[in-house]
Amino acid sequence: MSGLMASDLEPRVASRVALAAENVSKTYGATRALDDVSLEVSAGAIHGLMGGNGSGKSTFIKALAGVVTPDHGRLALRGEWVDARAHTPARAKASGLHFVHQQNSTFPDLTVAENLALGRGFESTPLKSIAWGAQKTRARSVLQRFEIDVDPDTPMVRLSPAAQMMVAIARALQDQDAADERGVLVLDEPTASLPKHEVDVLLTALRRYAEDGQTIIYVSHRLEEVISITQEVTVLRNGRVASRLVGEQISHDSLVAGITGGQTIAAAGVSASDGSGRRSPDVPVGAPVLTLRRTSRDRRTNHDALVLGAGEIVGIAGLLGSGRSRLLKQVFGVVPRDGLHVELSGGPLTGSDVREAMKRGVAFVPEDRLREAALPELSIAENLSITNLRQHSRAGWIKPSRERGAAKQLIAEFAVRAPSPSAPLTALSGGNQQKVILARWLQRRPEILLLDEPTQGVDIGARNEIHELVRAAAAAGTAVLVVSSDLGELAALAHRAVVVSDGDIVDTVDGPLTEDGLNDAVYAQEKSL
Amino acid sequence: MNHIAETDIDTAGSPGSRGSGSPVPPPATEVQEQKAAESRTFKARFVAFLEAYALLVLLVVIALFFCFWSETSSTFPTLANLRILLASQAVIGVISLGLLLPLLCQEFDLSVGNIAALTAILVADFVSGGGNVVAAIVLALVIGMAIGGVNALIVTRLHVNGVITTLGMSTILTGVILQQTGGLAPSSDIPPALTNFGIGMIGGVPVIFITLIVIAAITYFVLCHTSLGRQIYAVGSNLEAAKLVGLRTDGLKAATFVAGGVLCALGGLLYLSRAGGASPNVGMTFTLPAFAAAFLSAAAVRPGRFNVWGTIVAVYFLAVLNNGLNLAGVDPYVNDWVNGGALIVGVALATVLYRRRTT
Repeated sequence: MSGLMASDLEPRVASRVALAAENVSKTYGATRALDDVSLEVSAGAIHGLMGGNGSGKSTFIKALAGVVTPDHGRLALRGEWVDARAHTPARAKASGLHFVHQQNSTFPDLTVAENLALGRGFESTPLKSIAWGAQKTRARSVLQRFEIDVDPDTPMVRLSPAAQMMVAIARALQDQDAADERGVLVLDEPTASLPKHEVDVLLTALRRYAEDGQTIIYVSHRLEEVISITQEVTVLRNGRVASRLVGEQISHDSLVAGITGGQTIAAAGVSASDGSGRRSPDVPVGAPVLTLRRTSRDRRTNHDALVLGAGEIVGIAGLLGSGRSRLLKQVFGVVPRDGLHVELSGGPLTGSDVREAMKRGVAFVPEDRLREAALPELSIAENLSITNLRQHSRAGWIKPSRERGAAKQLIAEFAVRAPSPSAPLTALSGGNQQKVILARWLQRRPEILLLDEPTQGVDIGARNEIHELVRAAAAAGTAVLVVSSDLGELAALAHRAVVVSDGDIVDTVDGPLTEDGLNDAVYAQEKSL
Repeated sequence: MNHIAETDIDTAGSPGSRGSGSPVPPPATEVQEQKAAESRTFKARFVAFLEAYALLVLLVVIALFFCFWSETSSTFPTLANLRILLASQAVIGVISLGLLLPLLCQEFDLSVGNIAALTAILVADFVSGGGNVVAAIVLALVIGMAIGGVNALIVTRLHVNGVITTLGMSTILTGVILQQTGGLAPSSDIPPALTNFGIGMIGGVPVIFITLIVIAAITYFVLCHTSLGRQIYAVGSNLEAAKLVGLRTDGLKAATFVAGGVLCALGGLLYLSRAGGASPNVGMTFTLPAFAAAFLSAAAVRPGRFNVWGTIVAVYFLAVLNNGLNLAGVDPYVNDWVNGGALIVGVALATVLYRRRTT
């Protein structure tokens, strides 16, 4: 590796290197997003790229894609050094870099076959019109190769998000297969929305491709996946390369040490048993504050009710598409309740109305922070006070001093790393934004806190802090209902859990929870379907 | 301490001045460090100031230019011209604020100009027929409220896109105006109580301009210092998030359409009082500058956000530019270039500043 850093580099790079970057830097205002990042990716390897929020991971990927122009640095693609500043999306494509991003990059209204063909070119007849028959055959063979069991004529929007991601990956990989010169496939959090069994399918497929000589850069938050699939890993922290790991060096501890800078290895909260130390064996569960009851639906005789006591943290486990998030939204009154009866301590909650739920002491931190929670142009103080405007104002007039004072207090209390309360929310990293959203709701001292994927896209350090904040709120008497696709997180955070399938609560898992136990309970439902 | 050591390297780069051996750190470096920090914050502040007040500075520069340019130096810097400028643009100013309100909720109101025009014509009819001035004001407010209310209902209840709704509404209003006037300016007999208001002065300042400032101040206060205004900004920032923190998003949007309609009707009333009559074709001549000013506001005073004082600055920026060019004797089509260009530049600046703030 160190040979690469030498300044007197040959114009050509060793052929075993599929991609290299040298001293790539990027500054946004006062923030150094990338600070002399150098790395090299061996040909035919799966190279993990890890790092917490604000580590520069995304910026680096964008620089590779040519979307972000670095301040300086150079890149080696296909063995040729080029100035990173001259890199463009077109050049990235020409040099065989293919990206599959976290956000779905597919076209929901088009069919699977059309999605596979777009960006690649349709099979065409001699008249240059689309040869639909050939197109479909090709699509079918691609789908078969990637073990995706869907009809090529299905519109993307009908597929589960998991299957959509698989098609997006298949679309990128099909080009690779046809290419004479092997390029580099960059996968940005490909498993973020995949259920576990499809994760395994995907990882198996990726391994197979790597064995065929395909180079893959695998960006992920998930330690287990990175450990299981990669041969080499680069960990970024604060825009710098924190560690480079190869083969046996890649372990849970070494990755966490790289990501967090070695501060919180013990408290990483990744393993299932981790949180149990903090949990007192006999949780003092208060009076029931939330009861969910489902009136019988014809096809299900199960009437399982969920009773949530004050100070209790209950996890909701379930596969993607099982209706976990929808259940929370039904409780909060965002979507129609469809026969779900919600009873709070002061009587039933009637009418689908967010305002009524809020008045009755329910708080909701939604899954998609950017789309459903952040007020991006408003300041941190304004983002905090939005749920509490009445407390900050007299006869409709907002007292600036009171609002600012409250914001400062919340920023301190929730350990938000913010330059000032008047900075825009978007100046913060993802984890700190999430803490602001959590503080926005917890300042109301809610009776019931509904959390949907509270640490999605958040680095390990912030994740532990958020867990601590949730535990503290529960200790103060708030009942917490938390949805997470990360069963390890549920095991660490929740006292007990329920399993949701097809929108109904179908099973309960008593504490102490383990990740494996939850996994079994969830997949027991999957098998019985 | 850490950052002082770093500056050591930067500022006093000679090998002798640092190093573990030197027992007394030269005090000069600390002073330099302080100065560097000061100049940095000064620079940052200067950039922030420039970003916020560039349009105002530009307004002053252009005004000074017309004061000294030989083509306009005899006509532009006169008290009479200044008063005309202040007074004539008050109408556009109030209409711009009427547009600003829905714009804050990310809704476009293309009917602003025609709400003002129709109000002017109906009120002119009413007072010419012997109507009472107070009743005329009430009539204007009702017209603005009604049209704004219909826009609001269509957008929030029928979920029709705001651009389409208000484009349709604007066209219908053009039809109503034609129906009322037959395309000719009605010969009207506006009572002196109204026209005196339009041409009156307090301490040498046109009353109509003072009216604009008062309306702007009230709008500013409501938007920036009340719970209602904050909720409007929240809806504009992220509609979905606003819903999920329990804001009545539809109600807030509707309120901005109604209040916007009322402001436009007031603009129409000011126009009538100043012009002493109502021309049927005046609607579109209000709409475009209002859009240009409202969009330019995101590039002034509070960059990245549409705001009241930015709008007022933008209105007068455009007015001075047009006024000076007219006095210099340019062809009238140049004004269209200026207004259209300003609209595009305004939108571009708003977009750039928004992106810089949120990404």
